[in-house]
Amino acid sequence: MRFTTVLTLILLVSGCTDDVEPVKNSYAFEMPANFPAPVYTFGNNPVSRAGAELGQMLFYDPVLSLDSSIACANCHQQAVAFSDPVHRFSRGVDDAVGFRNAPAIQNMAFQNNFFWDGGVKHLDFVPINAVTSKIEMAETLDQVVQKLKRSKFYPEKFRSAFQEDQITSQQMLYALSQFMNLMVSANSKYDQYVRKETDLTKEETEGLEIFEAHCRTCHATDLFTDDSFRNNGLDAGFEKDAGRERITEFSGDRGKFKVPSLRNVDLTSPYMHDGRFNTLQQVLDHYSNMVKDSETLDPLLKQGESLGIVLSAEEKVKLIAFLKTLSDETFTHDKRFANPFIK
Amino acid sequence: MKKIFSILSIAILFVFFSACSDDEVGSSGSTLVLEFDNVVGTSNLVLNTTDQPYTNDHEEAFNVTWLTYYVSNIKLKREDGTIYEDAVKSDGSAGYYLIDEADVESREITLKNIPAGNYTEVTFTIGVDASQVDQGAQTGALDPAKGLFWTWNSGYIFMAIQGTSPACTEEGNEFAYHVGGYKEDPENDNLINNIKTFTLSFKGDSAPVKASHEPQVHIIFDVLKFFKGTGANISFASNAQRHTPKACEDIAGNIEGAFVVDHIHAD
Ligand code: HEC
Ligand code: HEC
Repeated sequence: MRFTTVLTLILLVSGCTDDVEPVKNSYAFEMPANFPAPVYTFGNNPVSRAGAELGQMLFYDPVLSLDSSIACANCHQQAVAFSDPVHRFSRGVDDAVGFRNAPAIQNMAFQNNFFWDGGVKHLDFVPINAVTSKIEMAETLDQVVQKLKRSKFYPEKFRSAFQEDQITSQQMLYALSQFMNLMVSANSKYDQYVRKETDLTKEETEGLEIFEAHCRTCHATDLFTDDSFRNNGLDAGFEKDAGRERITEFSGDRGKFKVPSLRNVDLTSPYMHDGRFNTLQQVLDHYSNMVKDSETLDPLLKQGESLGIVLSAEEKVKLIAFLKTLSDETFTHDKRFANPFIK
Repeated sequence: MKKIFSILSIAILFVFFSACSDDEVGSSGSTLVLEFDNVVGTSNLVLNTTDQPYTNDHEEAFNVTWLTYYVSNIKLKREDGTIYEDAVKSDGSAGYYLIDEADVESREITLKNIPAGNYTEVTFTIGVDASQVDQGAQTGALDPAKGLFWTWNSGYIFMAIQGTSPACTEEGNEFAYHVGGYKEDPENDNLINNIKTFTLSFKGDSAPVKASHEPQVHIIFDVLKFFKGTGANISFASNAQRHTPKACEDIAGNIEGAFVVDHIHAD
């Protein structure tokens, strides 16, 4: 994995120096200084303006769903960092997808594992699930490609994005990935603080300190996730959703879920894989009072006899103040990510 | 203006020509065909028969409605030990082949521009390995629109066989074995990797690749050996719908033993 990263970086760097004109378009993938290196295979699918704009259209177009009724944007809304504010369980898609809460889409280029159980290992493959909504797909992806071919304007858009005369599923997935890779959220108050452009209030600073002490091991780096799978004590039994075990088929992974990024967390309610909590207060009350023991409970949440994290009411207030500094208005208002069909 | 055009066209012609002559230099070798012949014991495999003409080791009758598998990373070994590798492209447009019993043409893989010589063994992979899946969206034989892509646990189905048997208690008496699972993670050794790479010897015979020859290597895949081998002896009476890497780990162990090089057509 590290090798690919280095490669990607080399490609990115050489890409820049090779260009005759200096890159000054806002559709170039930008790497925030406080982030770890991206892992997406940019060598195969670099971001271009035409590609990302095509991806943006596809993202907002219900043509991708089986019955042309639902777009990606139904469940992933920009105002809330592309999470789903309405449905605890996503609506309209059955089986595998239907029993989980739609997470935010942000900083995807830096992520190795997708979905709450990490069932998908590459961003390109994520949309296939949504498009087909069956555990195993039939020829429906093919049908979407046929629909795009018959459309009045898509063939031209695909041609300008990929310089080829045919539309393939690969191009469709590439365009969506280009769009999602562009979705970098790195201009929250916290980022500005890290870049020394602004100060945090006393309360926020103390919240950050509490966060560093109790939460940072799992919600690590400035992506606020260590990209691992852990059980944070939501349940004692996992009949409803075995989490990571669905993928690894290993009982030691039962009840483990991907540690989610906490960027824009004030906006992405409801929380957890099943959207069981509506407020950050409830989340913190969970960590302090409601952590349940089970064989796979993370050791960090089981110190000696006591379960969970000791947090006073005052500490919770500070923590929440800090978590709110992770909201990124630039991101939720960025025109490049808005609905292109509403002008 | 005209002048520019003619200069341009000369330049274009030039490019064309040099491309052509380049090709000719590269094509000193010839062609070899790998033919995949799917059988059930001593019978030829016929799909979608109305009766259930075949029997497994547990005396359970069955028919087959679907049989398909990915062949990739083909390597040919010459008498002198040198190895020819079929080129693989990272976007799946070359080096990956989907053999589908229902599609006669898919059952022959034609390898072109192979250096001349006598070839004595072939090595290939059944499945689509991590190095490929980790490259992202694929095309060609690996286009996920072909329906062999697991969406919830992403990766390809390497080999799928479906059919019916009266012994099978699933809906419609249907059995389905979808072998997949490519993931490896140094931090988690529980991920099942069902990728199989193996070598088939031409058993003393050799395939002579030269200008006027187009040897065919006739490879047999025996469904009965897929159901009974070193990995498992499958009964349709239980667990006959298998769609996860672990569920197919044992039957995947039968894959290598189900393939054999039967004979070589020299030209
Ligand atoms: C019906 C609601 C719905 C629709 C429509 C939908 N999604 Fe999702 N999306 C979800 C849910 C639910 C998950 C989490 C699934 C899981 O973890 O099992 C998810 C997960 C994702 C993720 C992974 C995020 C992460 O961090 O793991 C991405 C990326 C994504 N969707 C993109 C898309 C795209 C692109 C489309 C359109 C092609 C789309 N989604 C359509 C509900 C939806
Ligand atoms: C042992 C690792 C671990 C520690 C320590 C930890 N978390 Fe989490 N956190 C997780 C996991 C895993 C999830 C997802 C659980 C699920 O949905 O099943 C999660 C989910 C969350 C969510 C919900 C995010 C969303 O989008 O749904 C919030 C908010 C959160 N954690 C905040 C915190 C805070 C604040 C702390 C410190 C007080 C903390 N976490 C400590 C592992 C951890």
